[in-house]
Amino acid sequence: MRFLTFSPFVRLGAIALWVLSACAVPAPLPQQPAQPPAGEAPAAPASEEVVLRWRTRPDNKEEADVYASISDEVSKRIGVKLIYEPGGSETASYQDVLKTELASGTAPDVFWIPGTDIADFVERGLLLDLRPFAAKTPGYSDDNFYPEPMFHLTYNPATGKTGEVLWGLPRDVSTFVLYLNLDLINEAGAPDPRELAKAGKWDWAAFEEVARKVNALGGDIKGYGMNAWWGPYGAFMNAAGGGFFNKERNACNLTSKESLEGLAFLKKLYDEGLAVPYGEDSEPPFRAGKVGMFQNGRWATPGISTVTFNWDVVELPKGPSGHMGNWLFWGAYVVNKNTKHPELAWKLVDALTQPEIQAKVAARGTNIPSRRGEAVFEEFLKILPEKNNQAFLNGLADQPTAEGPLWTGSWPDFDRAMGAVVSDLLTGKITLEEFAKIACDEPSKAFNR
Amino acid sequence: MRLNRRLFLLSDLGPNRVLASLALWHGVQGALLIALGVGGLVSRTQLLSLVHGIALAGAVVVGFLSVVASIGIARRSHIGRAASLVVHYLLFIAALIGLASALDLFKGLDVLADYAAEGVPFLMAFVFMVGYALRTIELSERPVPRWRRRIGSAVMLVGGVGVALSLGLVTALLDWVAKLLQSPSALVWLALAVISVFLLRVMWRDPVAAWLGARRTHGEQLVGWLFLSPNLLGFLFFFAGPLLFSLYVSFTNWDAFNRRDWVGLENYARAFGLVVQPLRVPDQPASEALDVRTYSELMRVHLPGQSFLIGARDRLFWISLGNTLLFSALAVPLSVVPALFLAVLLNMRLPGMRLYRTLYFIPSVAAVVGVALIWQWMYNSQVGWINYFITEGINFINALLGTDIPDPQIRWLADSSYALLSVVIMSAWQWIGFNTVLFLAGLQTIPRELYEAATVDGANPRQQFFHITLPLLAPTTFYVLVTASIQALQVFDQVFIISNGTGGPGTSTLTMTLNLYQNGFQSFRQGYASALAWILFVVIFLFTLFQFRRQRKASSAYES
Repeated sequence: MRFLTFSPFVRLGAIALWVLSACAVPAPLPQQPAQPPAGEAPAAPASEEVVLRWRTRPDNKEEADVYASISDEVSKRIGVKLIYEPGGSETASYQDVLKTELASGTAPDVFWIPGTDIADFVERGLLLDLRPFAAKTPGYSDDNFYPEPMFHLTYNPATGKTGEVLWGLPRDVSTFVLYLNLDLINEAGAPDPRELAKAGKWDWAAFEEVARKVNALGGDIKGYGMNAWWGPYGAFMNAAGGGFFNKERNACNLTSKESLEGLAFLKKLYDEGLAVPYGEDSEPPFRAGKVGMFQNGRWATPGISTVTFNWDVVELPKGPSGHMGNWLFWGAYVVNKNTKHPELAWKLVDALTQPEIQAKVAARGTNIPSRRGEAVFEEFLKILPEKNNQAFLNGLADQPTAEGPLWTGSWPDFDRAMGAVVSDLLTGKITLEEFAKIACDEPSKAFNR
Repeated sequence: MRLNRRLFLLSDLGPNRVLASLALWHGVQGALLIALGVGGLVSRTQLLSLVHGIALAGAVVVGFLSVVASIGIARRSHIGRAASLVVHYLLFIAALIGLASALDLFKGLDVLADYAAEGVPFLMAFVFMVGYALRTIELSERPVPRWRRRIGSAVMLVGGVGVALSLGLVTALLDWVAKLLQSPSALVWLALAVISVFLLRVMWRDPVAAWLGARRTHGEQLVGWLFLSPNLLGFLFFFAGPLLFSLYVSFTNWDAFNRRDWVGLENYARAFGLVVQPLRVPDQPASEALDVRTYSELMRVHLPGQSFLIGARDRLFWISLGNTLLFSALAVPLSVVPALFLAVLLNMRLPGMRLYRTLYFIPSVAAVVGVALIWQWMYNSQVGWINYFITEGINFINALLGTDIPDPQIRWLADSSYALLSVVIMSAWQWIGFNTVLFLAGLQTIPRELYEAATVDGANPRQQFFHITLPLLAPTTFYVLVTASIQALQVFDQVFIISNGTGGPGTSTLTMTLNLYQNGFQSFRQGYASALAWILFVVIFLFTLFQFRRQRKASSAYES
C-alpha cells in the first residue's frame, strides 16, 4: 500500500495528466446527424471541423430560446455546426462588448448590430463585404428587403455610392406605436385614439387632448410616457418636418425651425406635467396602470401583453408635416471580417433572413420581418390578432425615417452630445431659446472625424 | 541514480571548463536574445500589439540578465549563478507557455471547462474529492489515522484516474504526440524547456555553487524568490505590464483596431486644454467668443464690470472631474461617519448582535448591478417606494397638523439636481457595511481597561468616545478614509446602471471612469481613454498623499 502515499512527483504527474487530457479537445460532443427539413434537398454532410458562432441581442430568455432553436434548424439546413450566443447584459452595452471582442479577435463569425452602428463598424474595417457571395446566390436580390435599410447596407464609403457592396442583411424592422391603457382613457372620458386614427383625426392636438384628460384623473396618473433615448423625441422632430441631420446627413439639424417645433411640443407636455418625467423609465408606471399612452416599438409587446388592464396600440399621431414622423428601426446580420469561413458565414446570414425563419422570430411578437410583401404582412397580422397590429404597418407605410448610420461622422459621439442637450431641454434645465443657441455646438463636433 | 550521474557528468569536467562553457553559453544566448528583442522593437514601422511588445521587451530583459550571468560566471561570482538560474527559470516558463500555445492547450482548457463539470468526469471528480476528504479531514483532535489516509489515497487515485480517462486521456496523449511531431515550433519550445531544465539542474548543483562562491543563504534567498515568483510574474504580466502598456497607449491615438500613431502629449493637452475669453456682454453667445469647432463652453465667470467665458477642448473631462470630486466629497463622509457610529453600537454586548452585524454587512456583499437596479426602481418618481413614503408622510403630517405642505414628487433620477445625490445615497448605503466591519475590528483592539479606568476617573460615555475611542481608532479611521476615497473616486458601476451608461440626465452623473469608459469602449478612443485613466491615477495619488500627510501631522501632534 506504500504506493498510495503520493510523492510530490506523483502529484505533479497527476496534474500533468489532467492538463494533457485537455489536449484531446475539441471533444466529440454527441451530435444528431443533420436532417434537412421535409421537402428540401439534403445539405452537404456536416463538417466536424467547421464551427460558426453567431450572436444577437435578445430581449429576454424566451427570445434567446427561439434563436437557439433557429440555430439548430439552420445548422441542419446549411450543414455546419452553429453555436448561438445570446448577447447583451445589464452591465455592458451589446455593441461595446462586441467591439471589444472584435478588437481582441474573439468575436463571433456572424452577429447582429443595430442600423445606426453600420457605418462605425464599416469605417473601422470590421465587416466583410458580402456582395461577391450574394452575387453567386440564386434567388438573392437586394429588392427583397426594405429599401431604406438596404441603402445603408449597400453603401460604399470609399465611392459614396450605394449598391456596390453588401455589409449584411436586415434581420427585422420595427416602428413606434402608442401603447394605450384603454381603461384609463375610458375612465378619463377621452376619445378612443384608435377611432380617431381610423377617422383620420389622430393628430398632435387630439393626442394632447387625450393626454390632458387622462392626466386630469390626478394623483400619480400621467397622460403620456416615453423613454429617454433618441428614438422617441426624434419622432416628434420628424413629424414636424425636422430631424437630426440635414438632407446630406453631414451637418446637425437640431436647431432648424421644424426640429425646434417638434421639441417645443414635447417640452410643453413635460413642462405641464402631462408626461412621465423625462429620464425615467416609463414602462414600469405604464405596466402599473398609471400612464395613458406609452410610446415604444414592437419589441415592448411581449412584456406589455402581460398587464392586467385592457390595452391596445395606435399609430403615432400626425404632426405639422402631415406625417407621423415614425422611424423605421432595423438591425442587420453582418459577418466578421476575420471569419475563417466567409462563404459559410454568408450562407448563415442568408438562411437567417429567409421568410420562414423570420416568421419564427416574428411569432414571438417582438419584431416585424424585414422582407417585403403581402404574405409577410398577413403572417404578421396573425400574431396577437385581437390587437391593432395594423398600427405598426401603418407606421411603416407613412414615409418613416430609416434609423441610419452616420457615414460622415461618429454616431456614438453625435448621440451622446445630442442626448445631453435634449435632456437639459426636456428636464427644464434650459429653455427652448437657449437650446436653439447651443444645441448644435457639441453634436457638430461628431462630424469632425 | 546512475542515470542521474550520467546526465550531469558535465560538472565532472572540472570547474574551468564547465564555467567557461556556461559563461560562453550565456554570452551567446544573451546576445541573441537582445538582438532578437531590439531588432523586433526597432524594425516595426507601426506600434506593436500588447503581446508582441511584451514578448520582445521580455527577450531584451532576459538577454540582459543572460549577459550579466555570463560576466558573473566568468568572474566566479555567485551573482552570475543567481542570474543564470533566473534566466533559465524564465526561459523554462516561456517555453512551457509557448509549448502549450503551439499544442492548442489553452483552447483545450477552455473546452475542458465547458464539459468537465458534468457527467462522468464530474462524478469522478467528486470521488476524488471524497478521497481527499477521507485523507485529510480530522474528525477528532487526533491526527487522521493511517488506514483512513491510505483508503483516502486509493479513492483519490481512482477518482483522478477516472477523471483523466473519462476526459479522454489516451486520445489526449496520442493527439499531443501527433501535434508535437507535426509542429516545428512545438519541438523548438520543447527543446528550450529541456535545455532550460538541464541548465537549471547543472547550476543548482552543489559543486557548481561552490565554484561560484554561493553560500547556503544565497540558495535560501533564491528559494524564497522561487516561491514568490508565481505571484511576481502574475503581477508583472497581468498588472504592471498592462499598466505600462496603457501609459504607452496614452501617447497614441490607438482605436484598438487600426490607428496607432504616436501623438505625444496631445491626449493630455486635449483633456486639460482651456481658454479664457472676455465677453462683451455677460450673455454673449459662446459661438461669438470661442472657436466652437475646437472649444466648448465650460462656464462663465462674472466679475464686476467684466465677464469671462471659460472654454474647454473637452468639457466632459472637466464636468466628469467636478462630478467625481463632488461625489467623493458627499459619499465618503456619508459612508464613513454613520459606519463609525454603527460600529460603536454593534460593539456593544447585546443579544442578537451577530445577526445585526450580518444584516448591516449584506449590502456590501450584494452585487452592485442588482443593488443599482433595485434602487433605480425605488427612485422612480411615480411608482417608486421612496416617493411613496414621502407622499404618505406628508399626507399624514398635513392630516395631523392641518397644514398644506405640498408633495415635492422628487424626480430622483430624472432631475439633474438630484441624480448625483441619488447615486451618493445608494453608494453610501452599500459601502457603510464594509466600513462598519473595519471600524468594528479597530474597536475590538482597544483595551477595555482604558474604558474601565476612565469610568473610575468619572468620564462619561461621550468623553470616553472623544478621548479614548476616536484617538485610538485613528489608524483604522485613516485606512477607512483612504480606501473609501479611492473607491469613491473610481465610482463606475452605480452610475453606469443608474444612468443606463449615459451619465445623464444631461451630464449630471458623468464621472471620470464613466467618461473614460465612453471614450474607450463606445467611441474607441483607447489612446485618449488611457490618458484619462492616468489623469485619474494622478488625482487619486495626490488625494491619498494628502491624506497620508495629514495623518502623519495628526499622529505627531497627538504623540507630542
